[in-house]
Amino acid sequence: MTHRWGMAIDLDRCTGCEACVTACRAENNVPTAGPDQAARGRAIHWIRVERYYEGEFPDVRVKFRPVLCQQCDAAPCEPVCPTYASHHTEEGLNAQVYNRCIGTRYCANACPYNVRFFDFANPVWDKPLNLQLNPDVSVREVGVMEKCTFCVQRINEGKTRAKSESREVKDGEITPACAQACPTTAIVFGDLNDPESEVSRLSRSPRGSKLLEDLGTKPKITYLR
Amino acid sequence: MESAAVNAVYALYSDPDSAQLAVEGLRREGVAERSITVISSEPFEEYEFSRRDKPTWIFWIATAGGAVGLVAAYLLASITQRMWPLVTGGMPIVAMWPNLIIMFELTMLGAIIATVITLLITARLPTTRSKLYDPEISNGKILVGVENPPENSIEKLRQALRATGGEVHPG
Amino acid sequence: MNLETRNKINDDLLRPVLHTSPWFYVIIAVLGGIILAGLGSWMYQMSHGLVVAGIKWPVYWAFYITNFVFWIGISHAGTLISAILRLVNATWRRPVTRCAEVITVFALMIGAMFPIIHLGRPWLAFYLMPYPSERGIWPNFRSPLVWDFFAISTYLTGSTLFLFLPAIPDFALMRDRTNGLRKRIYGALALGWQGTTKQWHRLESAMQIMAIAIVPVAISVHTIVSFDFSMAPVPMWHSTVFGPYFVAGAIFSGIAALIVAMAVLRRLLHLEEYLHPVHFHNLGKLLLTMSLLWGYFTFVERLTVWYGNSPSEMAVFWETQTGSYAPLFWTMVFCNFVIPLPLLSIRRLRTITGTVVASSLIVVGMWLERFLIIVPSLATKNLPYSWGFYRPQPVEIMITIATFAAMAFLYVLFSKFVPIISIWELKVGGHPRPVLTPQEEEEAQELWRVRP
Repeated sequence: MTHRWGMAIDLDRCTGCEACVTACRAENNVPTAGPDQAARGRAIHWIRVERYYEGEFPDVRVKFRPVLCQQCDAAPCEPVCPTYASHHTEEGLNAQVYNRCIGTRYCANACPYNVRFFDFANPVWDKPLNLQLNPDVSVREVGVMEKCTFCVQRINEGKTRAKSESREVKDGEITPACAQACPTTAIVFGDLNDPESEVSRLSRSPRGSKLLEDLGTKPKITYLR
Repeated sequence: MESAAVNAVYALYSDPDSAQLAVEGLRREGVAERSITVISSEPFEEYEFSRRDKPTWIFWIATAGGAVGLVAAYLLASITQRMWPLVTGGMPIVAMWPNLIIMFELTMLGAIIATVITLLITARLPTTRSKLYDPEISNGKILVGVENPPENSIEKLRQALRATGGEVHPG
Repeated sequence: MNLETRNKINDDLLRPVLHTSPWFYVIIAVLGGIILAGLGSWMYQMSHGLVVAGIKWPVYWAFYITNFVFWIGISHAGTLISAILRLVNATWRRPVTRCAEVITVFALMIGAMFPIIHLGRPWLAFYLMPYPSERGIWPNFRSPLVWDFFAISTYLTGSTLFLFLPAIPDFALMRDRTNGLRKRIYGALALGWQGTTKQWHRLESAMQIMAIAIVPVAISVHTIVSFDFSMAPVPMWHSTVFGPYFVAGAIFSGIAALIVAMAVLRRLLHLEEYLHPVHFHNLGKLLLTMSLLWGYFTFVERLTVWYGNSPSEMAVFWETQTGSYAPLFWTMVFCNFVIPLPLLSIRRLRTITGTVVASSLIVVGMWLERFLIIVPSLATKNLPYSWGFYRPQPVEIMITIATFAAMAFLYVLFSKFVPIISIWELKVGGHPRPVLTPQEEEEAQELWRVRP
């Protein structure tokens, strides 16, 4: 059966702790920009927690929303890439092929969610931080675009294991780093093609909505409010 | 540009009116239309001696070049898109609207290149063979003459050219 | 026009090519220095990465793409003057055509550099070329950047040929007036041109076809450049008016650049007898029309956004109207519309000085317009958490200045080696009433006979 990977994020459960952000950096070898470059807007966050304040003191409410690549079915970042570095896979993921990327940054401009990031410089990991790099994930060089891949290395590992054991992938077997780290299990990942999976069930919830859905991008992450 | 190696009888005139009279004089001597050569440093479209040419096919050649460009663009886009089908943005693999843009550009390129090649071929450019020329043409003189005239008519032609007031060459 | 006048034209227009004043070397040295500084900045950027530039999340396009659109826009000067005026038989265009065509070719070359300069990995720019590579993959024809590649290549090829073909008779003239190595080079460029009636006929037919062909290409080029923006779902980019808006803006900035170039040439090369106030007068009228057209498009676009009241679009709208970009926006309106309008519409002010002042302001204003289309929209996209503010860095500023120097440099070099006014076309403009054959005389009388 063809998989269709999707995600559901429960905003009621999200506490804004940003464990997902830290876990993603560790899993995917995301480079650190440092305070100067971060102040100049060069920080890379494959997943970020957007924080909005509503109301006046003392009735202030804070809203958290983890925003990551929505793996849109009608992704505006895909047709604009001149070298097919950004394209759609059969399993519904928006793939970023670093080798094809020449860094025009058009995809980042086209993305309404601003979830695509440019490598402004060659990444540097001072010793002993280099020992922490994940060998399953490539390190991107200067001049290419990068973004959340739904931890495609973990998806591939899960599929390979299931195939070697001659069985289907079980729901909950594949977890991206952000979902794994979330202390309140606000982030749920799974196969949308499997009607019994947790993520399919949550996607059908009446509390569910999609981010910037009216732009026609057909995002695959359902936010539950 | 060497004129010594070319066998011709010609005269130089200072203005287009006398050049027109010279051409008519040569015609009266029985010289065939295509044997009369008129060379100048600027075109004189309003004078009859400039308009003895037949209409050109260049427009149709340009259109043909455009058609070649159109087909080439269509094949380039549709074949390469099918060779490695990658889905982008939910669009079809062979997307008509963007391909139309590529097709338009290559059509125009085809038309332009066909026009230039036709010009070069029909105007016989570039040329390395010796052609009839006189450096005085750059000073504004108009050359009217006959290339490769038959031996017995040379003197007659020289008379005709001298009668209309030109400085005849060879002297 | 007699022989004496013809030779005077030859002498006057060949003088800048045959004689070099010491000022030429000074200008070349100064401009060359600025260009070298620009090249140095680019090398610095390539070795250190775009971290040295001002672009950031989310403003990923800024100065370089502004320059790209600006220079491609300037390149529309030649097409309008050369092609359109040729097609409508406007005889006053004759001394002006080559000046304009030269601007087109060099502006295109400079503009086409910027998609390479702004790349993250410029050494892989050849990935855009459609050829059977060993990677087995072709460019994505659905991307507006690939359309840019095709459009600009076609336009550059067409414009270069459009410049070169009518220059062949002038190269022949140069061949006859020089000696030694220069004679051989000009002779090679002249392709053995004689000037037979057949060759003239063929050249004029070819120019006619090229003029017809180059106009749609020019329009398509800037439309496709506008597609770089309108194809993305960015607030105030995704507008249907962008195609015509950009083309009108391009022709607008192109004519302004042409007027400035002509005024400079007229002064430096002593071409007062050939570039008359009437040329500036007529170009000034065209510039006025384009200024009104630009104002119309800007008004229409902004009115539509204001009525639409979409939250993400209105955020960008207010940023440019009253927010951080307001000073630049209102400067642009002043430079493009408010000041040129009286300068160009009042006959007494539409002098050479008047049009040059208006044109210089317009060049500045149009550069600002490109910047204001690109940066505020990117800085203020759909999700407010990701809004940002762009500040240019020295690298970007140096490269921008260097491209202006490069344009001047290439122009000065060109006018040193090729007569900047098309000599044979100028002479044709002075031809008297046509001489008709008896048969044509009869036909003309038939046409004009008054019928009872």
